[in-house]
Amino acid sequence: MPPTQPLGLPRALQKREFRSTSAGEFRERCVVVFLAACGLTTVLITAGIMVMLITQSWNFFSSEFVSPREFLTGSEWTALQSKDLKDAKFGIWPLLSGTLRVTVIAMVIALPLGLITAIYLSEFASPRIRSVLKPTLEIIAGIPTVVLGYFAILVISPSLQWLTAGAFDTFNATSAGIAVGILCLPMVCSLSEDAMRAVPSALREGAYGLGCTPFETSVKVVVPAALSGIVSAFLLAFSRAIGETMVVALAAGTRATATLDPRQQSQTMTGFIVEMIKSENEYGTVQYFSLYAVAITLFTITFGMTLLGQMIRRRYQESYQ
Amino acid sequence: MSQATIPLPKAMTAQDPAAAAANARKRKRFSRAFYWLCVAIASVSVVVLAVLLVSIGVQGHSRLSSDLIQHSHSELEPEQSGMRPAVIGSLFVCVCCATAALPLGIGTAIFLEEFKPKSKVLRLLHSFIQLNIANLAGVPSIVFGLLGLSVFVHMFGVFGTIQVNKPSGWELFGVEHYYQLLSLEPGQTILVPQTVVNQTTIKIDGPVEGIDADGNSFMIQTWDRKSGPKPDTREARMRTIKAGAVGGSYSKHAWYYFRLPFGKSFLAAGLTLSLVILPVIIIASQEALRSVSPSLREASLGLGATQWQTTRDVSLPAALPGIMTGAILAMGRAIGEAAPVLVVLGAAVAKNTGPENLMDSVVTMPVLIFNWAGRPQDVYQQLAAAAIIVLLVVLLALNSVAIYVRQKVQSP
Amino acid sequence: MSVEPTISDASISRAIQPVTGNESNSRETATASTSLIQIGNLSAYYGDFQAIHSLSIEIPRNKVTAFIGPSGCGKSTLLRWINRMNDIVPGAHATGTLTMGDLDILSPATDVVSLRRKVGIVFQKPNPFPKSIFDNVAFGPRLHMRLNKSELNELVEWSLRKAAVWEEVKDRLQKPALGLSGGQQQRLCIARAIAVGPEVLLMDEPCSALDPSSTLAIEDLMDELRNQYTIVIVTHNMQQASRCSDKTAFFFEGKLVEFGETERLFTKPKHKQTEDYVRGRFG
Repeated sequence: MPPTQPLGLPRALQKREFRSTSAGEFRERCVVVFLAACGLTTVLITAGIMVMLITQSWNFFSSEFVSPREFLTGSEWTALQSKDLKDAKFGIWPLLSGTLRVTVIAMVIALPLGLITAIYLSEFASPRIRSVLKPTLEIIAGIPTVVLGYFAILVISPSLQWLTAGAFDTFNATSAGIAVGILCLPMVCSLSEDAMRAVPSALREGAYGLGCTPFETSVKVVVPAALSGIVSAFLLAFSRAIGETMVVALAAGTRATATLDPRQQSQTMTGFIVEMIKSENEYGTVQYFSLYAVAITLFTITFGMTLLGQMIRRRYQESYQ
Repeated sequence: MSQATIPLPKAMTAQDPAAAAANARKRKRFSRAFYWLCVAIASVSVVVLAVLLVSIGVQGHSRLSSDLIQHSHSELEPEQSGMRPAVIGSLFVCVCCATAALPLGIGTAIFLEEFKPKSKVLRLLHSFIQLNIANLAGVPSIVFGLLGLSVFVHMFGVFGTIQVNKPSGWELFGVEHYYQLLSLEPGQTILVPQTVVNQTTIKIDGPVEGIDADGNSFMIQTWDRKSGPKPDTREARMRTIKAGAVGGSYSKHAWYYFRLPFGKSFLAAGLTLSLVILPVIIIASQEALRSVSPSLREASLGLGATQWQTTRDVSLPAALPGIMTGAILAMGRAIGEAAPVLVVLGAAVAKNTGPENLMDSVVTMPVLIFNWAGRPQDVYQQLAAAAIIVLLVVLLALNSVAIYVRQKVQSP
Repeated sequence: MSVEPTISDASISRAIQPVTGNESNSRETATASTSLIQIGNLSAYYGDFQAIHSLSIEIPRNKVTAFIGPSGCGKSTLLRWINRMNDIVPGAHATGTLTMGDLDILSPATDVVSLRRKVGIVFQKPNPFPKSIFDNVAFGPRLHMRLNKSELNELVEWSLRKAAVWEEVKDRLQKPALGLSGGQQQRLCIARAIAVGPEVLLMDEPCSALDPSSTLAIEDLMDELRNQYTIVIVTHNMQQASRCSDKTAFFFEGKLVEFGETERLFTKPKHKQTEDYVRGRFG
């Protein structure tokens, strides 16, 4: 609808006074500097972690009673038990085996169950089922780890003992492993599901068009097509399980032994750190600083796994245009 | 050989329809079995959650009373233990954590998403920061606890170590140091202002200026057996000490007491927790900013807005619901984290109030649960379960707020 | 509108080179005061891909100039270089000259913020902000000008009237802009663009996402707006170009093939390629 008579210019445009942009440029630059500083803080945090771990564990490794060779190959760890530094043994393998036992059991539970739940959610589930299952998984993911540790002592350990007529210790690696597995399951499931949903439906249609059953389509077409995301999810879950602290501190026990028996007590790296922190009377001794040596081992392992997961995702990420 | 004369392969001519049908039936049956396997395994999660909630509810419901929220932990009378200080402590720690993590995290996300680099150097910096954040997200929370211990609690020993009731570290304001003396009136003490910093005890022989409970200063009278009977009035006795009495150090802290290093304070715990949830907030905020349609940014830039003006007036308002949801969920994670707080503050749960000053230690709910759950007595096991119920209720409330915010976005 | 302007010496001396392979180019040039934007030897790249090849053209003042051509011929790229919108595309760079009078648009030292105030843009898909109608139009003025409340209200009303959408929105200025229909949203975007008082309005296929009646409304609007602004419109719709524009430029594969008065270009094109395109034999 064209106006019937020409409009006069409003005062604002008659004035033609515009804000100077040089002041604006300065303000803009200040904002960018502030935001970049925020970004650099994260770099600072990583640097801080590394500096802290290296300097504090140096207090341990520089002691004359400690040899790096014994640390890496020894099979006894008595940091908490030995009051006398001469008798203390500092071999990392008992703690590593404890962590390994708990983590492997956790992965045995989380990976297959998580992947199959993800397949179900992405390929088979109706929206109604999704609306029940997804919130359930989100709730499990949001449960604090102390609660899961308590659940392990309350339900899992007694059940294991009842099922096997007492073959399991009260504190054992399996209960902790099961609880950690429950912890990691939602993570595996949601990351795998994301990877599978990113596979275009054209691939699925092609498979069905060739006469594949739903099983064959999901397992032989979709999962391989989403493989890099799924592998990356597995690695992240593994890394999370290794770093888990509260569940093992409550349920796994405090005896560090280099065994592979899942029914026994086991002390993981994280559990040891908690124990050593709790025993405040040992502050400043070489035994105390051994916790930093354990921490740097832990950090190296998890950092390495995260980097590996990222490299796999970057290099092998499928892109469907 | 032309196309028409290539003979058909045997696989095509020797087709057995019966075998093909049997093969198809077998595969379909296998597929059905796999489907039911999927259903069974998916329901495992639901069953596990149900078992968890029910078992904890059964174990703890007997302890759910108003006493739980009003009392504090008691070693002598476990039946009377409560978690009030822990709830307050968690609140203080979370507020401190949010104040530190939200500006830093959202600022970093804005920097990474809105200010895309043009030069090669800046692009390297961007991808380095991005990679770094992804790695930090995978670091175990206990390592952050150790970092907090060195950086916030001890501050690398730069300011000295903390000693209780003695001047230590670099105290900026809010504290007064005294010597504490017993007066002749049983149960009443007199404070004498401390003048020499390193002297931890003082012996009073002659009259000295002292301060009573209300802060009024007066001259302390000394008394010994030789000089006569004790003063008869209560007030006089409250102002008299035995000659030669020795007083020890005592410090009075105002609520705004501030000291470096932080020592085992809720500030240190809050800042450490903010390190833990920082990557979570950054990643969630980045997602939210990424979901803003680029055409809106183009429109703003086309009108002559600078990048920051575009971010402030267009991108941030549009991404705000997503950012808020991410922040609330990150706070939920922070409330439930026990490992870093354990490292920074220790596992002691004997405190019976919230923090009294800025540098005071606290007990948080997950640490309390950890402490109680580690004790073999049934009482504590039930108390732990009850405390878990309270914690889960708090988290449920928080998540409901997040879901409400998310839904409000999708249907404004 | 059927007189062919001649090429003057003055304009040749402004170093406008002939486009290779098109010797009998009808590059119409006007005298200095009626040409607003001068483009000389412009080559534009996205990374290594060259989207525009050594293009020279002059956009006349206070007229509607249409850019037509098949997909991928570089017309949108050229349009977006005029207000440096391509700055936000990583890897986009250009060589040559692109000036508006004394203002060197391509120079990195140019203040892009005030350039974009002088050269406004309307996009293909209407993109009002998720704010109220009033706030959408007031967005630019609030950034660039210091106004009191009554001046701002006056400016918003004027812009909405000028964009022929005032009658439809005057009672709901505080309601969300996203509640308007597609055609109304696009007119709102036009109001938003003219609220900052530009000299040039760039329109990148403004009607392609709209229904015919909205399209007609916007074409009527362009007719009104041409008195005050210089309009450059990119369009796929040849009928629209022939209806609305004074001059038309036909591009093909990043090169300017022909530029002239619209009526003549559509009835008696000088190049076979132009003729084939306007007769619909390709594109």
